[in-house]
Amino acid sequence: MVVSAAARPGFGARWRAEPAFAVALTLLWLLLAFFILYPIVALVARVFIDQGQFTSATIVKVLTDRNQVAAFRNSLLLGTLVGVGGTVLGFGFAFAATRCRLPPTVVRLIDIAVLLPLVSPPFTTAIGYIFSFGARGLITYDLLGIRNVSVYGLTSTMTAETLTYFPIAYLTLRPMLAAIDSNIEGMALSLGASRWRVFRTVTLPLCTPGLANAFLLLFAASLADFATPLILAGNQFPVLPTQAYLQITGLFDLSGGAALSLVLLMPAFVVFIAQRFWVGRRFYVTVTGKGAGQAPFDSVSPIARVLLVAACVAVTLFIVYLYALLVYASLVRAFGANDTLTLEHYRAVFTEGLRVLFDTLIIAAFATPLGGLYGVVMGYLITRRRFVGRTAMEIVSMIHYALPGTIVGIAYLIAFNDPPIVLTGTAVILVACYVFRYGPTGIRTTMALLQQVDPSLEEASHSLGAGTGTTFRRITLPLVLPAFFAALGVMFIRSMTAISATIFLVSISWTLVTVRILENMTELRLGMAAAFSVIVVIIVFIVIGAIGQVLRLLRTPGSKPATGLLAA
Amino acid sequence: MNTPAPAEAIGVTVAHVSKRFTHAVKGEVHAARDVSLDVAPGEFLTLLGPSGCGKTTTLRMIAGFEMPDEGSIAFGGHDVTRLPANQRGIGFVFQNYALFPHLSVFDNVAYGLAVRGESGSEIGRAVGDVLALVGLAGYERQFPAQMSGGEQQRVALARAIVIHPRVLLFDEPLSNLDARLRVQMRDEIRALQKRLAITAIYVTHDQEEAMAVSDRIAVMNRGSIAEIGTAETLYHSPRSRFVAEFIGRANLVAAQVIAVRDGYVDVAALDRQLAIPRQGSALAAGTRCLLLLRPEAIVLGEPDATSGTLAGTVRTRTFLGEKIEYTIACAGVTLQVVRHSQGVTDAFAPGAAVGVQIARGAGTLVADASQGDSP
Ligand SMILES: Nc1ncnc2c1ncn2[C@@H]1O[C@H](COP(=O)(O)OP(=O)(O)O)[C@@H](O)[C@H]1O
Ligand SMILES: [Mg+2]
Repeated sequence: MVVSAAARPGFGARWRAEPAFAVALTLLWLLLAFFILYPIVALVARVFIDQGQFTSATIVKVLTDRNQVAAFRNSLLLGTLVGVGGTVLGFGFAFAATRCRLPPTVVRLIDIAVLLPLVSPPFTTAIGYIFSFGARGLITYDLLGIRNVSVYGLTSTMTAETLTYFPIAYLTLRPMLAAIDSNIEGMALSLGASRWRVFRTVTLPLCTPGLANAFLLLFAASLADFATPLILAGNQFPVLPTQAYLQITGLFDLSGGAALSLVLLMPAFVVFIAQRFWVGRRFYVTVTGKGAGQAPFDSVSPIARVLLVAACVAVTLFIVYLYALLVYASLVRAFGANDTLTLEHYRAVFTEGLRVLFDTLIIAAFATPLGGLYGVVMGYLITRRRFVGRTAMEIVSMIHYALPGTIVGIAYLIAFNDPPIVLTGTAVILVACYVFRYGPTGIRTTMALLQQVDPSLEEASHSLGAGTGTTFRRITLPLVLPAFFAALGVMFIRSMTAISATIFLVSISWTLVTVRILENMTELRLGMAAAFSVIVVIIVFIVIGAIGQVLRLLRTPGSKPATGLLAA
Repeated sequence: MNTPAPAEAIGVTVAHVSKRFTHAVKGEVHAARDVSLDVAPGEFLTLLGPSGCGKTTTLRMIAGFEMPDEGSIAFGGHDVTRLPANQRGIGFVFQNYALFPHLSVFDNVAYGLAVRGESGSEIGRAVGDVLALVGLAGYERQFPAQMSGGEQQRVALARAIVIHPRVLLFDEPLSNLDARLRVQMRDEIRALQKRLAITAIYVTHDQEEAMAVSDRIAVMNRGSIAEIGTAETLYHSPRSRFVAEFIGRANLVAAQVIAVRDGYVDVAALDRQLAIPRQGSALAAGTRCLLLLRPEAIVLGEPDATSGTLAGTVRTRTFLGEKIEYTIACAGVTLQVVRHSQGVTDAFAPGAAVGVQIARGAGTLVADASQGDSP
C-alpha cells in the first residue's frame, strides 16, 4: 500500500512531510467541532441547564404533557405504518422490475415516475393529495360531490408519506433482487418447488436483511418528516416534528422545542443502532456474487405477474396524477373554484417570488460545490489514509445526516443565535446546515467508490515511478470524479428541496422556496404554491439530467455505468 | 521488431529479512522469517509455496511496498531496503493486473514513461513496440474493461516492461486465467524474460508453473525458505519431507539405513533390503529416514516370486490419456504408480495381483523430521 500501516511515521514527521494533509485534517476537525458537535452540545445544554444549574424540569414537562406523549405515540405509529407500507410497495416495484420481464422502456418510465417524489420538495405529494382529496379536491368535491370533507389525519398523512418515501425502498431493494443469482431460484424450482414456494422459501428469505433495512430507512424518514404532517395531519393527529416546530414558532418556547426534538432523538437513535449492528452484519449473506440480469425462466406465474404489474402501474399512474393536478392547479385561476387557464401564478413567482427563488439558488450555488468537495475529501481521507481519530471523524461526520432535520435545525438555531457566534439571519447558517447535513452522501459515495478501487492500482502507479502526489492526481482523483459529481447532484437537489432543518433558519434577509411554498399553502394561495413546486421540480430535473450526462461522459468504455450514484 | 533494449541485468540480494503483521483474525503473524535469497543477474527465480506461506509478503518487500522489520535488500549490490517503490526501478505484474480502468491501453502502458518525463514521440514509439512485442498491436484505443483476461494480462506485462525495469516482479500473474491460456502465457513470459535478459522474481503456488518458467525455485513454508534449487534437484533429491511432498507426487515410505557403501546406501524398506544411490552426506547406519519413490520410478509387472520383486495388489486404475495412474497396496503401504499408456496392453485391473519393482538408480533418502534425528 502507498500508505502502509506498518510504516506509519511519527506524528511530527508526518506534519513536516505532508503539510497539505496536516492542514486539511486540522481544518476539517475544526469545522466538524464547530458545525456538528457544538450545536448538538448547545441543544442538550439548553434542555438540561438552566442558569448554570442542571435541571430536568424542561424534559419532564414534555414527557408528562399528554398532548406531547400522544405526539410521540403518533410519530411511532405513523413511522411503523409508513415503514411497512413503503417497504411492501418498494418490494413490489423492485420485484416487478427484476422478475417480470417488463420491456426496458416500461421500467424506465416507472423509474422516472417513481423518482418524482424523491427529487421534489418532500411535501409535494401532500399538496397534490390536497388537490385531489381536500375540501375542494377533484375527487372528493368534483367527482363524488362530497361537501365539508376533512382530508386531515392519519390516513392521508400515511398515504402521502408512503408515496413520498417508498422509492427509497425500491432503490435499495432492486439491486439486491437483481444480485440474487437467479440460478438459485431455478435450482429450487428444478427440485420441484412451486413458484410460490420458491418465492416464499428462497427469494424472500434472501431479501430479509434488505427488507429490514428498507423498513428502518422509511421509518426514520417518516419520523423525521415535518412538512407532510404540517400539511395533512391536522390538529387531531399531532406528531413530534410539527409539535416542536409549533412550540418554537407559535409559542416561542425554544427550550420546549429543543426538549421535544430530543424526544425524537430516541427512536432515531434506536434505528441508527439497529441499522449499524443488526442489519449491517447480515447483509453479506445475500451477496451471492454475479448478478444475473433478467430471470432466465418464468419465476412468476402469469396471473401473479399480471396482478403485480397492474398494481405497480396503478400506483405509478396515481403519482403521475397527483403531479398532474399540481401542474393543473398552477395553471388555473383558483383550483376547484375557477378553472380559467392563466399564467398569473407563474408571473407572481417570477415577480414577487423572484427574490426567494434567487435566495435559494444562491444558497444552493454555495452549498453544492462546498458539499461536494467536503464529501470527496472526507471520503478519501477516511478510506485511504491512516491517522489517529479516523473512525471518530467518520462517525462525527455522519451525525447530522442521521439525525432528523428538526433536531439539527433547532440545534443550529440555539447554537448560532446568541453571542459569541451569531449566524442566524445570514446565508452562512443555511449553507453550513446543507453542507454538513447532506455532504455525507458524498462521503458515502466516495468511500463506496474507493472501496471498489483496489489499492494495487495505486501500488502499480507507484511501481511505475510515480510519487504519492502524482498517483493521487492521475489515478485516485479521476476514479472518484463520478462520486464528486453525484455528490454535487445530491447537494443541489437537497438545497432546493429540503425544509425540515432549514425552516428554523430562514430569516427576513434569506429565505427558501420550500418555506415560501408552505407559507403559501397556509395562506391558501394554492396556485402560487403549485407554481413554485412545479418550477422547483423542473429545475431539479434539469440538473439531474445534466449530472447524468456528465457521469456518462466520465464513463470509460466497457466499464459499469456510474448512474445510481445519484440515488444515495 | 524493436525489443526494449536490455538494460544491464543486476542481481538481487535478500539478506535475513523478516516481517510481522498484526492480523485482525490470526493475531500476530510472522509472514516472513529470516528469508535470504541470492538472485543472479538475468536469472528467473520463483517463490513457490502453499497459500499463506509468505510469498507475496517477500515479493512486496523486494518491490518496496512493504518495509522489512529486519534484514536488508540490495539491487546490484546497492542497498534499497528503505528506498520507496517508485525509486527502485522495478516492474510489477499484479495478480489482478491492476490496470488503470480510466485509461486506454495506450495510456496505461505509457504511464510509467510519462511519469519519467519522456517526450511524446518517444512514448508513442516505445508503447507501439512493446504492444507489438506482447502481441497487442492495434489495441491502443481499447479500455481494460473491454478486454479478455489474457489480453489484460499482456497489457499488465507490457506496462511493466516498457520502463526497462532492473527487476521484474510477478505475483501469481496467471492465476486468473483458464488452464490452456495459463500454459501459453507462462511460456511467453519465460521467452520474454530470456529475450530481455531481465532479472525476474516470480510468485506462484502452482508447482508445475514454477517448474516450467524458473531457472531456480525457492520453496517456502510458513514464512521461511525451505529449499532453493533447480526443478530437477528439488524433484529428484529434495532434502526435506515438505519439499518432497510439495513438488510432484511422492511415495514416502519408512526406511532404516543398514550400511553405507561406495555410491550406494543399503536401506531396509518395504520389507526388503534396497540399494539407494548415495547423495551428498551419507546417513549413518541405523538412522531412520524416509525413502522417496516418485510414481514413475515404480515398475509394475507380472507377479514374480524372485527376490527383487514385491507382491502387490491393484487398488485403483485411472486412465488419463497419455498415462495411467494406479494405486497399489504393497508391503503394508499404498503406493502411487504411473506408467505411460503407449503400448500398454495389460489391464492390471483393480483387484489384480502385480509384481512391483523399483527402477534402477531411483529413490532418494529424505530426513524424517518427525523422527527428530535428522542427518
Ligand atoms: N497486510 C497484512 N496484514 C495482516 N496480515 C497479513 C498482511 N499481509 C499478509 N498477511 C499475513 O501474512 C501471511 C503471509 O501472507 P502472504 O505473503 O500473502 O502469503 P502468500 O502470498 O504466500 O499466500 C498470511 O498469514 C497473511 O494472512
Ligand atoms: Mg499471495
